[in-house]
Amino acid sequence: MDEAHYFFPPAAAYPLNRFLFALKSDTTARERYVADPEGAMREAGLDVEARAALAVADRDRLVALGAHPYLVFMAQVRLSMARDPGTFEYF
Amino acid sequence: MPVVGAFALPHTPQLLVRPATEDRELVLRVHAAYAVVKERLAAARPDVLCVVGGDHVEGFFLDAVPALAVFVGRSAAGEFGRYRYAFDVHEPLARAIAEQGIEAGFDLTYSQDVRLDYAFYVPLHFTMPEPRIPIVPLYVNVYLPPQPTPRRCYAWGQALRRILDARPERVALIASGGLSHFPGTDRYASPDYDFDRALLASLAEGRGAETARLTGEELDKAGNVELRTWITLLGAVGAARAEVLCYEPSWHHGNAVVAWAVGA
Repeated sequence: MDEAHYFFPPAAAYPLNRFLFALKSDTTARERYVADPEGAMREAGLDVEARAALAVADRDRLVALGAHPYLVFMAQVRLSMARDPGTFEYF
Repeated sequence: MPVVGAFALPHTPQLLVRPATEDRELVLRVHAAYAVVKERLAAARPDVLCVVGGDHVEGFFLDAVPALAVFVGRSAAGEFGRYRYAFDVHEPLARAIAEQGIEAGFDLTYSQDVRLDYAFYVPLHFTMPEPRIPIVPLYVNVYLPPQPTPRRCYAWGQALRRILDARPERVALIASGGLSHFPGTDRYASPDYDFDRALLASLAEGRGAETARLTGEELDKAGNVELRTWITLLGAVGAARAEVLCYEPSWHHGNAVVAWAVGA
């Protein structure tokens, strides 16, 4: 199962996964990130590699750093909904 | 009281909030299948909807990862963009499931305060009968390995059915999830639709018990980690034959709406 799409989240990646979880699920944290990405990431204690990968939404790099693929995906969806709400159709 | 209905439904958020990347006609066809389920639910007159869902790391994060859980609070609430949801929870049934499930050997987690995930409210947005009825959210861990095995999910579904059959409420079961999709991975644009089609064909023949023999690795490879919610429901419906109300594979997601004729 080493190559599972959804792999065990390594403990070292906990701060990164915690941050992605907040981007996905916490409106205040998402707004803070949209306003000042670098500041929000530093405040959360993300290391330089994680900050660089997240700043450009480099999914492969984030996953290589231990980020949960689903969290990377939905954090980006929620950021996109926050930045461009007019591009969606709401049912 | 026998279970009065059983359905498996997709919950992908693009069905609720459609970005330009999604085929509008396909989305509307899935909505039409949801509408059929809503009609059938109304006709079945359930007192409660038990929804088996896979949390998308929304209610439960890495601070605690329950394999199987029951929401035993007063009300379950969640939000997605401009949508706000709050559902009454049927506390007596939820509590009976937690107590009797543990008595039956399933070490269930329970919570009275979990933020509801879209796995629950997207299908309910489209299928909740009017007037609304209370729900019982039942959680299966699908995204945070190690997840419960398909065999365990099936057995839990069997135990759940025994609990429900002895209850006074009329209960409809909903499994929320699937089918094949790989969010956040390099397989996102190439789901395993052959797996889905073979699965749906076997379910139509009443061969749901075979899903208990799948491995976690097979589910992961097929983009079907969420099938654990279906497998739980299959444990509850046994050899009933599935009726596929729609199967709509998009460029990234196998949207299936399925019904089982069960009970009264």
